[in-house]
Amino acid sequence: MVFTNKIEERDLHKEQKLLILALFPTLFLLFGLIYALLDHETLLGGLKAIVKSPTTLLTDFMALGGIGAAFVNSALIGFFNLYLLKRFKLRINGLLIAAFFTVLGFSFFGKNVLNILPIYFGGYLYARYQEIPMKNIILVIMFSTALAPIVSFITFSGIFTEGFSYLMGLITGISIGFIIVPLSSHMIRFHDGFNLYNIGFTAGIVGTVITSALRSFDVDIATVNIIHETNSPYVIGLLVLLFLYLIGVGVYTNKDAFKRYKEIFDYRGRTITDFTSLLGYGITFVNMGVLGLASVAFVLILGGVVNGPVIAGILTIVGFAAFGKQPKNCYPIVLGVLLAGVFFGYDFSSTTFLISALFSTTIAPIAGAYGPVIGAIAGMLHLTLVTNIGIIHGGINLYNNGFSGGIVAGFMLPIIDAFKRGSRKL
Amino acid sequence: MRHEIKKLCKIVDELTTLFLREDTNEVDFKIITEPDRSIVRIVDYNTKYSEEFINHFEKMLNNQRQSEIEEYYWQLAGENDDDDELTLISAMIDSATVEKRDGNLYIELVRLNK
Repeated sequence: MVFTNKIEERDLHKEQKLLILALFPTLFLLFGLIYALLDHETLLGGLKAIVKSPTTLLTDFMALGGIGAAFVNSALIGFFNLYLLKRFKLRINGLLIAAFFTVLGFSFFGKNVLNILPIYFGGYLYARYQEIPMKNIILVIMFSTALAPIVSFITFSGIFTEGFSYLMGLITGISIGFIIVPLSSHMIRFHDGFNLYNIGFTAGIVGTVITSALRSFDVDIATVNIIHETNSPYVIGLLVLLFLYLIGVGVYTNKDAFKRYKEIFDYRGRTITDFTSLLGYGITFVNMGVLGLASVAFVLILGGVVNGPVIAGILTIVGFAAFGKQPKNCYPIVLGVLLAGVFFGYDFSSTTFLISALFSTTIAPIAGAYGPVIGAIAGMLHLTLVTNIGIIHGGINLYNNGFSGGIVAGFMLPIIDAFKRGSRKL
Repeated sequence: MRHEIKKLCKIVDELTTLFLREDTNEVDFKIITEPDRSIVRIVDYNTKYSEEFINHFEKMLNNQRQSEIEEYYWQLAGENDDDDELTLISAMIDSATVEKRDGNLYIELVRLNK
């Protein structure tokens, strides 16, 4: 048990915390509108292309609909989820921050304003059926939009006649929303909380079942590779600005946030490690900003492009920096991915490799609990798995790394346990 | 299914594991279910925990019921014997009292039926 000494910081009201988060979609919206205007993008045309795409992995909305439309799409989804958090009067804890940033990030590749809605409605029906408040499950539903591409795929890939395809897409999305809560709760025992993107693992299983069923009817879901391939200094500048803002908010909330930042290294990061509750919001926001800046630097140093999937990776790290991730438990995993990349001859600047490295931090708790060597081995194993399992679910699970991370954790933990010599105490 | 009974058992499992691993070799517990609430009483005999630790412990358990965390993660409680899930337990209960009397640690957890 790790108990930190008393944290003294400014008391932030729920509304203030929501406002702090709201700056992200607000700036995304303004940025998207201005960018589209200056770059002569057809914003509505771009949004239409995003909404009518099958959105399977990897469909980068910055390439598909343009940079402006991608940012507007993300902003709209961000506002929708913030409204839900406000509507259900939820305490803004680390997990909700993680969920918000994950959804915001994946709105750059895979989630759009149309394909997420049936899943929310399915969650609502589940809550009604079980006679539990919707607020109890809204968090799982936010994460479960990982499977939103299946709604788009069924609706827009031409496997059903137009009209009927809308109905089938709707039914599929509602069904996913209905079943995902008990599934996700059950699946977590497989990896014992060592895979932070638990819904990714759950969605991987669900996606595998759905894809297999479709393939039985000779419907093949092929992965695609629609990627934005040039860096925009404005996009990078916006992200850097937002992460500096998080650090600023952190220091404003807790003037000792930097001085006490090292206390975050004492936590392994295994689920549930809610930094907002353990260390306060000040240190949490600083950690989010630091990991955000580190992630942008990492991508640029490797010569990568900050496109839709990469932004998703960065924002997911930022979100989970409130719920388990900190530099000390992340670096060994990323190091392992890099080592495996060298060994297997990967192109470090490719989007596929970069998102594998960024999302590999889903298993950061393994490094936090068992040290950097085991962490690096887990990272190496992660890269080998994540590049091979996408084909199983055909790219309809956006959290492919969460699926891989769950398998890595579930595979490694019993083996680590076999080598451990614990206390002889009964 | 809502698994109310199993959730109570998971809370007991987590705290029993924690105390036997870290603090004692003798633990008692009692579970009472009422129409509007459930109460879990745990006695950790001959505790070695300091007063400061116990204060931290009580404060943490009284963090706030968080139904969304409970719904997602309740099956993790009591599953790991190498780490604790106190944040999860605090999310699953409405109030807690923790006090040391005669060298023993007395804990009472209240979980309202919602």
